[in-house]
Amino acid sequence: MQNTATAAQSKGVIPKIGRWLRGERLTTLNLFVSFIIICIIFASQSEFFLTLENFANIGRTLGVVSIVSIGMTLVLITGGVDISVGSVAALSGVVASILWLNFGVPLFLATLIGLLACTVVGFLNGYMIAIVKINPLITTLASFSIVRGLAFVLSNGQTNQLNDEAFKFLGRGEIGGIPVSLILLIVLYIVFFVVMHFTNFGRNLYAIGGSADASRLAGIPVRRHLLIVYTLSAFLAGLGGIIIASQLASSAPRAATGLEFTVIAAVVLGGTSLSGGKGSLIGTLVGVFILRVLDNGLVQTRVSSFYQDVISGAVLLLAVGFDQIRLKLTSTFGGKQ
Amino acid sequence: MLEMRHIRKSFYGVKVLDDVSINLYPGETLALLGENGAGKSTLIKILNGDYSRDAGDVILDGVPVHFAEPRDAEGAGIRMIYQELHYAPELSVTENLLLGRLPHRQGVLGWMIDWNAAREQAREALKLLNVNIDPMTKMRDLSVVEREIIEIVKALSRKARIIVMDEPTAALTPPEVQQLFGIIRDLCKQGIGIIYISHRLDEVFQIAQRVTVLRDGKHVDTRPIAEMTHKALVHMMVGRDIEERAEVRKGTAAIQLGDRLLEVQGLGKTGAFEDISFQVRAGEIVALFGLLGAGHNILTQTIFGVEKADSGSVHIGGHPVQVASPQDAKRAGIGFVPLDRKVNGLVLGMSVRKNITLSNWTTLAPFGIFRPKKEMHNTRNWVDKLGIRMAGGIETHTRYLSGGNQQKVVLARWLEANVRVLLLNEPTWGVDVGARSDIYDQLEALAAQGLAILIVSSDIEEVLTVSHRILTIYKGHLTGEFMQSEATQEKLLHAAAGGTL
Repeated sequence: MQNTATAAQSKGVIPKIGRWLRGERLTTLNLFVSFIIICIIFASQSEFFLTLENFANIGRTLGVVSIVSIGMTLVLITGGVDISVGSVAALSGVVASILWLNFGVPLFLATLIGLLACTVVGFLNGYMIAIVKINPLITTLASFSIVRGLAFVLSNGQTNQLNDEAFKFLGRGEIGGIPVSLILLIVLYIVFFVVMHFTNFGRNLYAIGGSADASRLAGIPVRRHLLIVYTLSAFLAGLGGIIIASQLASSAPRAATGLEFTVIAAVVLGGTSLSGGKGSLIGTLVGVFILRVLDNGLVQTRVSSFYQDVISGAVLLLAVGFDQIRLKLTSTFGGKQ
Repeated sequence: MLEMRHIRKSFYGVKVLDDVSINLYPGETLALLGENGAGKSTLIKILNGDYSRDAGDVILDGVPVHFAEPRDAEGAGIRMIYQELHYAPELSVTENLLLGRLPHRQGVLGWMIDWNAAREQAREALKLLNVNIDPMTKMRDLSVVEREIIEIVKALSRKARIIVMDEPTAALTPPEVQQLFGIIRDLCKQGIGIIYISHRLDEVFQIAQRVTVLRDGKHVDTRPIAEMTHKALVHMMVGRDIEERAEVRKGTAAIQLGDRLLEVQGLGKTGAFEDISFQVRAGEIVALFGLLGAGHNILTQTIFGVEKADSGSVHIGGHPVQVASPQDAKRAGIGFVPLDRKVNGLVLGMSVRKNITLSNWTTLAPFGIFRPKKEMHNTRNWVDKLGIRMAGGIETHTRYLSGGNQQKVVLARWLEANVRVLLLNEPTWGVDVGARSDIYDQLEALAAQGLAILIVSSDIEEVLTVSHRILTIYKGHLTGEFMQSEATQEKLLHAAAGGTL
């Protein structure tokens, strides 16, 4: 019977709708369509919006969120979540600036140590989640608070100047007219795209998110994978923090506040499932782009900044809501037998 | 009392039910048989109002009815008892029985639950079946059969007249099955009609008066069970003859046995099993037979490193191995087909291909990067070899495969990982007759290629059919060892129930 099913499935309109609704492609398509609509609305309200210059501006703002979103995508694919990314991002800048200003450590080395500190935080997150088996939300909610507090303690609540030309190059510099942070994010996305699609590590992450039990019984070292993923997430968050510090030429303990919302929103908008096992980096990149275009457009059209948060939240709700409606329609047009 | 006439249903233009009719008389047990994918569950879901029908009539007491929702069917006195029971484990029997209609106090305290009345109502309901269960016990603390009984009581207390049972005995021990059958007979005496779905033919012969067989969405036949034989039923379900394996086997020459591949010495785990020693040689299929909870499932999990042993050792190919995790076991060349393939065996949201290659990245992804051509090639190889059937090719998610094909995917994974020792836990639970026969064929072929195979099973027919040697286990102790030629149902059951020889 199953063989005949293959042949018969390719005919008829209703099956087509059913298959189309079931398809993964739709999430991306849906994103793309909403993106176009957003652009049209903004373009009709602001002449400056649809200029190359403006999109170059948007390109410059992509860096931090999209880099941190890589880690978050991996974490969500394993079925976890990392709330601590904003705090961790603040920590890297603070550690680097303290070491440089107060202890005379060369800035390059200080930056590396700042990244290392974040990596350690990520490892501890992973340890608590994978080995001690504390729920990821609770673990990273705790480190969200602890790490933010540490950043305040270390910096004494002060904003520190980081006036160093080489350091500022990371966040503000350009190579051949392309922002350095944009190049960095493109490289990182290519690397992680390969990791997620062509390596057994990436595939194992999908498997773990799909079913941790089955993965363990298939001989996959689940705990090690989780440890690596949370460490990676914090490392990338730290890198994001360094870029922020470089862009602002200063480090502040309250930097990157609310980053976790933007990042999770972008990843979920990009079609990654909160229950794990499903998601893609391409989707994430599109998600980040949409959020950024939205922000930019709202500024261009002079919408009050108070409304911007309201609108960002509403867009997230709409996007995820549409996905649920899609699932419902899928079962109407022929679900599982 | 109930008639479903000329039911048709298609999904995506695929006919799932094609002109199927059944009827049910009061006080009768009608067995509904068919392989997975034959359309049994679709038919039942149409009766229940879960699915709408494309054509045909459902007639209840001579009146055509239409159920848009399961609630409508319930209102008409039709209840489903699914294989996986739905209940709140932390709540008491009373609460589960009266869920959604707990009695309230009178007057000003009307917003409070009247627990005394609730308990009384629950007791009344339990009396319907004369079962001795304390209504204040938590569901969690009941045995599986007791939970099923509570489910039946719930159905009765809501004036059910037709009860549909979908594989109710899948998780029951033989004595519990008999207890359930007693209750089913009582129900029939009260004039309740039962539609009974099962893969276990011997049960059907025990409990049903008539049997309806579906195949590929078509109605094959409906007959009184007394006119049927085991063989004829299988023929109706599968559409071809399945050879009587045990008979064939007894005729063939002795199998070629090789080295001791798996050797277990004095393995013990507190509270589960004690001092277990046995060996499986290359080319041999050994079955470990025990009733549920005898410790055999945990034993294979321990050999595979899921659970930790307290004492004893495991040798693979003559060398002692330390297996502290499934990774170690895999490295040592052990494969494990777990009890619940949907939870523990497969990643349901992943394709057949990825599930098959999940354990074999050492050769398929030498530097961590998969070699797509080789992966495709190997996957196709196993799909052909094991006869894994799916609509839509090897990129289909394993969620959409039938039970037998899902089990074959798990099997293929370990073959792909090139293991020498295979442990299988209840390999054919919920697998239909045809696919079951395929799996047995494969296991025999694998043994012939020199694998050592250990099957853990509570299904006595399976044990007698497929294994060369049978060990029995009772309360964590090995109680007997039989060559296949000398094993009989009586001997095995006797030993597995703790009787000494």
